[in-house]
Order: sequence, then C-alpha cells, then structure tokens
Amino acid sequence: MRKRFGAVQAVDGVDLELKPGEIHALVGENGAGKSTLAAIAYRAIQPDEGTVSSDGVVGLVHQHFKLIGRLRVWENVLLNREPRRGWAIDAGAARARVRELGTTYGLQVDPDAVVETLPVGIKQRVELLRELDRAPRVLLLDEPTASLAPGEIASFFTTVQDLARRGTAILVVTHKLAEVIAYSQRVTVMRAGRVVASHLTGETSAEAIAREMVGGEVPALAARASTSVAPLLEVRNLSARSGTSALREASFEVRAGEIVGVAGIEGNGQSALSDALAGVVPFSGTIVFEGTPLRPDDAPASRLARGIRVIPQDRRHEALVLEWNVRDNVALGRQRTLRLAEFGAAAREVIERFDVRPPNPDALAGALSGGNQQKIVVGRTLISAPKLVVAYQPTRGIDIGAAALVQSRLIEARNAGAGVLLISFELDELFAVADRVLVIANGAFVGAFDRGNLDRGRIGALMAGHA
Amino acid sequence: MTAALLRTRAFRDVAVVIVLVFGVGSIAMLLAHVSPFDGFYALIDGAFGTKYELAETLVQTTNLLLPALGIAIAFRAGLFNIGAEGQLVIGGFAAGWLGAQLLLPGYLAVPMVLLAGVVAGGAWGAIPGFMRARFGANEVIATLMLNFVAALLTTYLVTGPLQQGGAGAAETSPLLKAAQLPTLFGTQLTWAFVIALGLAFVMHWVLRRTVFGYELRAAGDAPEAAKRAGIDLSRTALLAMTISGAFAGLGGASIVAGELHRFNTGLSPGYGFIAIAVALVGNLDPRWIVVAALAFGALQSGGYVMQAEAHVPREVVSLVTGLVIVALAGRRVVAAQRST
Repeated sequence: MRKRFGAVQAVDGVDLELKPGEIHALVGENGAGKSTLAAIAYRAIQPDEGTVSSDGVVGLVHQHFKLIGRLRVWENVLLNREPRRGWAIDAGAARARVRELGTTYGLQVDPDAVVETLPVGIKQRVELLRELDRAPRVLLLDEPTASLAPGEIASFFTTVQDLARRGTAILVVTHKLAEVIAYSQRVTVMRAGRVVASHLTGETSAEAIAREMVGGEVPALAARASTSVAPLLEVRNLSARSGTSALREASFEVRAGEIVGVAGIEGNGQSALSDALAGVVPFSGTIVFEGTPLRPDDAPASRLARGIRVIPQDRRHEALVLEWNVRDNVALGRQRTLRLAEFGAAAREVIERFDVRPPNPDALAGALSGGNQQKIVVGRTLISAPKLVVAYQPTRGIDIGAAALVQSRLIEARNAGAGVLLISFELDELFAVADRVLVIANGAFVGAFDRGNLDRGRIGALMAGHA
Repeated sequence: MTAALLRTRAFRDVAVVIVLVFGVGSIAMLLAHVSPFDGFYALIDGAFGTKYELAETLVQTTNLLLPALGIAIAFRAGLFNIGAEGQLVIGGFAAGWLGAQLLLPGYLAVPMVLLAGVVAGGAWGAIPGFMRARFGANEVIATLMLNFVAALLTTYLVTGPLQQGGAGAAETSPLLKAAQLPTLFGTQLTWAFVIALGLAFVMHWVLRRTVFGYELRAAGDAPEAAKRAGIDLSRTALLAMTISGAFAGLGGASIVAGELHRFNTGLSPGYGFIAIAVALVGNLDPRWIVVAALAFGALQSGGYVMQAEAHVPREVVSLVTGLVIVALAGRRVVAAQRST
C-alpha cells in the first residue's frame, strides 16, 4: 500500500494481513501512518498503489465517536438501515434488533436512551453496535480506549476477545503498549509510513516495541531532585464552569517543588479547573496563591502577572497563533514585559533548550509538527520562570521523544522550585512524573495518592466514578 | 483564525479584480454599444490624462484610503466593521457643522474641523464596539444598521433643527474660508491626501512594532490564544472599532473641508462600502491598501470622464465595484464568520 498527501508519504509500501480470530495491534507514533492505513483498509481513502481485499464486510470504530447526540440509541445504531413497514420506520423492530445485538455480544444498552445523555463508555458500545449490525468479518478499532477508564478498558477488551473468538479479524490502532501486550496476538510497528517490525506479541515486550516505534532508545526522564516543599496554592471548595465542563467544590493544594497530577477521564471537569486557574472563567470558593486570595473575576493578565501560567489543552487554538512565526509566538503572554528587540533572544532560548525543529525563529508555527508546536508552548511558559505551572495534557498527540522532553522540563521546573499541576488523561504519564496524584470524576476530587502508594486498580475505579 | 482568513489569497484576489474590471466592464460597454477599447481608453485617460484629472484621481484615492485603513484596523482585530459609510457620514456632518461656525485662524480651524470628524466617527464606531465588548453583540449587524441610522439622523438634522442652507436644501452653511483644507499644486488636491498617506505608514508601524498592534493582531488571528495570553479582548474590540470609526470620520471630514466645503447628505457615493473592497484587495496591509485605493480611485474619477466622452454610463464602474465587493468581501466575511 502506498499513499501520499502533498509532500508527505503517509504510507510507503506497507503489507498487512489480518487473520480470522486474531487481535492484531498496529502501533506507531503520531504521523507514522497507522490511521491512514486503517482508513485505506476501510476503503475510506483510495491508495495510490496497492489493493485491499477482505472476506466480507469491514467495520471501523472511530477514535472520536461519529454519533448523532440528539438521536436515540436505536436511531444511531440502525441509521440508514432502519427496518421499515411500508413508508414508515418500524421502531418496534428496530428496538428489538438493538436488544438482540446487545444480548448476542454482551453489549446491553437501552435502545431508547438519547445518545448525548450517555457516559462515554456506553457511547462507545453504541458505536460498536452500529458496526456489529453490519456483521463485519473485519473490525478496525482506531484508538478505542482513548476516553475509557481502566476498568472500562478491561471490559471493552473482553467484548473484543469474544468477537475474535467468533472468527472476526480485529485490528487495534493504538499507542498504549500495555494494552498491546495484554490483549493482542500479533503486533505490527510502523514508523514514517513503513512497517519496521512485526511480531507475535508473546515474543516481544513493551520496551522493545517502544524502541522500534522511536527508532532508537527512548529518552530517559530527568532525575527528580529532592526538594523542600513550601505552601504555594491552596484551593478550597472551588466550583467553576467552562462550556460543558463543570467543577464542583474541589479542594486541594499544590506546594512549591512538587508535581501534583490530576487523573481523570476526559470530560470530568478538567477544563473548568484549568480555565478557572487561568482566569478565563469566573469561580466560586477560594484560591489562595502565595498567601493572597485570587479574585474570582480576575482577567488572565493578573494571573500571569503573579506567575501563574497555564499550558492549555488545545495548543492550536488556545495557545498558538498558527499564522505567526515562532518568534512572535514565543512572546505571546509576555508581550507587555518583553521589548520587541528581546523577542528574538527569547525565541532562540526556547529553540535551543527545547530542541525545536527546524531551529528557525522565522518559521510559521502552523507549519511545525505537533511535537514542535508543543515544545514552543511549554518552552515559552517555562523560560518565564513561573511559580505555578498548570499543564493540561501537555503531551497529547506528540511523539515519544518530544513527550519525554516536555515531561523532563516539567520535572526540572519542579526541581527548581516551581509548583506544577499536571492534568492528564494518561495514567502512565502521571505515574512517571507526579509526586502526588489526585483523582477527578464528575467534576469532584474523589481520591488522593502519594507517589509511594499509587494503586492503578483503585485509581481506575475512582476515575470511572466507583467510589 | 478569523482575521487571518481574510488575508489569504492576495494574488488570486488581484486576478479576480482584473478579470471583473476588464471582463464585466467590457460586456457592459458592449451592451451600451461602445467598443471596450474606446471605453477603457476614456476611463484610463480620464483618470490620468491631465494634471487635473490626476488630481481628481488622488482626491478619490484619499476618500477611499481613509475609510479603507479604518476597515483594515477592525478586520485585523477580527471585527467585521461594515459601518464605515455611516462613520464617514457622521464625521463629515460634525466637521461641516463645526466648520460653519468656527471663527478661528486657519492653523486652528482646519485641525479642529478634522478633529471633529475624527471624534464623531470614532464615537460612531465605538457604539458597536461597546455593544460587542459589553454584550457580545454581533458587530456585522450593528455596524450595518448604524449606516442607516447615520444617514437618516444627519438628513433629519440638516433638513430640520440644523438646517442652514437655502430653502429646503439638505446641507449645512458653507465652511468659513479659514476652515477649508488648503489645496496643493493649484489643483483640487488637498493636504488630506498627504495626511492619509502618512497615516497609512503610521498604521503599518503601529501594527508591526507596538504592543498595541501585536495584541490587536493576536486578538484577530487567534482570540482564544490571545485571551489566555492576558490580552483583554473586550478592550481591544472597543479600541479597534473606535479607531476604525475615527479613520472613516476623518475621511468624511476631509471631504467636507477639502471638496464640498459644506456638509450635504449626498456627501458620499458609497465610499465606505467601496473601501471594504479596497481594504480586502490590499490584503489588510496598509502599504497595499494605498495601491488598491489608487486603483479604485482611478476607476471612480475615470468613470466620470468615460461617461462624458465615450458615452458609457458611469454605472458600469458601480457595477464592477459592486461585483468586486460581493466576490471578495461576501465570500470571506461569510467564511470567517462561519469559522468562529
């Protein structure tokens, strides 16, 4: 298979074979070409060269669910395949069909529930049911566990294994190596559009796969120095709302010289927490920073002036001006304190310390890779010597090398005495970096763990809302 | 990327303009039974043929350049100010009203008359700016509607309470001599042209080299990122709209003080709308807006001569200009609004 997009050879001479009854993992870094390959297999993209053949229907479950929120479960599952009675839709038969599918595959869902009211894990069941109704012989799953809690992940794979036992060929596109090891029989590793390795999963390890993905050694994280912690941020009964994200009565502390992780599934109040600290939305409750309360109706400028800096979740919209060059982007947030003549020096410092490629202050931010864009955002935040850094998914969608660099620089900022609040959807990241982990579910803080006694099972249950 | 969306494809736009001007212009001339060659010859000769015709072209250039610069400021801040026409009319009215009663020497009267236009136009622009900053009101609708308010308000004032011209005339008394803009080179060209050119370069410098310009561009190109970087979007919107209106108001004042020497309700043949096309063809860059204003200014002034000499109705110029506005402004404003 070959596929080129403009100047990028996304898929470059790849052969892939899926066998009935086998769970096949496809791994690789962002931009390695795995999603393109899946889309070609689904026949959503026409390859430049190569052919696809399959023994029956191919189904695809997207990372971002393609459901219509206002419609009911049966309307989504049977969309465009509705059972009919004359001119009308036979809703009774449709409900029965959804129930029957649910019983067959162990995916019970109320056919009349409105999709937008359902939790993420159930939405994914609906997505899966929609594909299963077409009785696929091949099922492609694109990052299927991205928004599931650890407990939900286990039950999801139980379903997938059951499908495989019935003879379905399954391809799981993922970057979570623990799941590859636990659930797949075969693993194919892609890098830069090519297949660089293919193994029986039993004959390899997560570490070996990571090396193959990166094409070398995975960079080690910066060492954690012992720090003397001191009070910095004290939050009491913090409630805030940002769009659909809501935080309720949260209380926690971040001390100087520590990284406090916030573990949770996407959509459980993290955006409201980040935006309340940034000054983007008003809050109720108290936030005391360095002994002085923050005003609930502060503008972001006053938070910045006090040394509170937020690395937003969405770097393309909330952090960067994509049409601007690197130099002007590095100055963003310090445009009142830096003089124009100092923009260049600041940009060079970020480029050097954060290994931005290309190392060119005149390059347009929008033309850089996601990893290099993120290096600019994290870099400009950390070179301004912040007292508190709120990092919201700082390694989302970037390659392993860039992620390790970002995490190392956060550890170094902590070592130098900054307080860091790290909001992440990836437990692995929090376990690697945080001194303490707080668990957030449904907008409330429901658990706290010190680095010494992190319990993945317990944290996963709390994330899923089981107290 | 709202404001940035307005700034792409500059060269394609120049091509669109050329095709529209010469293509549609030729068709319209053929329909009027005039050879396009004769028609365009008359148009170009009429715009640049003599010293006085060139001066008239530069007068028209000035009348378009000032509102176009104002429009560009607002657009760069991500605000679709399509109310330059109203801001220009209000500025012209303030200048005409004040200029008719100022008993001051010229070195005071002229700046005060122009300043009256700046203040009035700025205030008229500040209204939608405030509505946007305070209540999140859509500035497209507010500025569009305020055009009608400005036209009707000034008409009411000069036909009613402030009527000063002859019986029934919709105009103010003439400006006192001292309040009129001095001319250049013995032609109808005035110092307004020099002021407008100077302001184009000041605006370029402000946008590129000052904190205010940086924050304004950030607010327009990436409002979410700008907000998180400590930029006050409401304040920026209010300031940008005020400055935008002030430019258009100055344009109106310079027409009153330099050309008509009084305010009347027929002050503008739609400069504030044509200026939208000028700003977009100039890619919202003050330097290129000067060039675009010259091109549209030539169309305006050449159109009169074309009508007189080649018997092509002047409306051909209006037709072509209108099509340029629809082709450039309509498409981009809709696209940029949709992306927000």
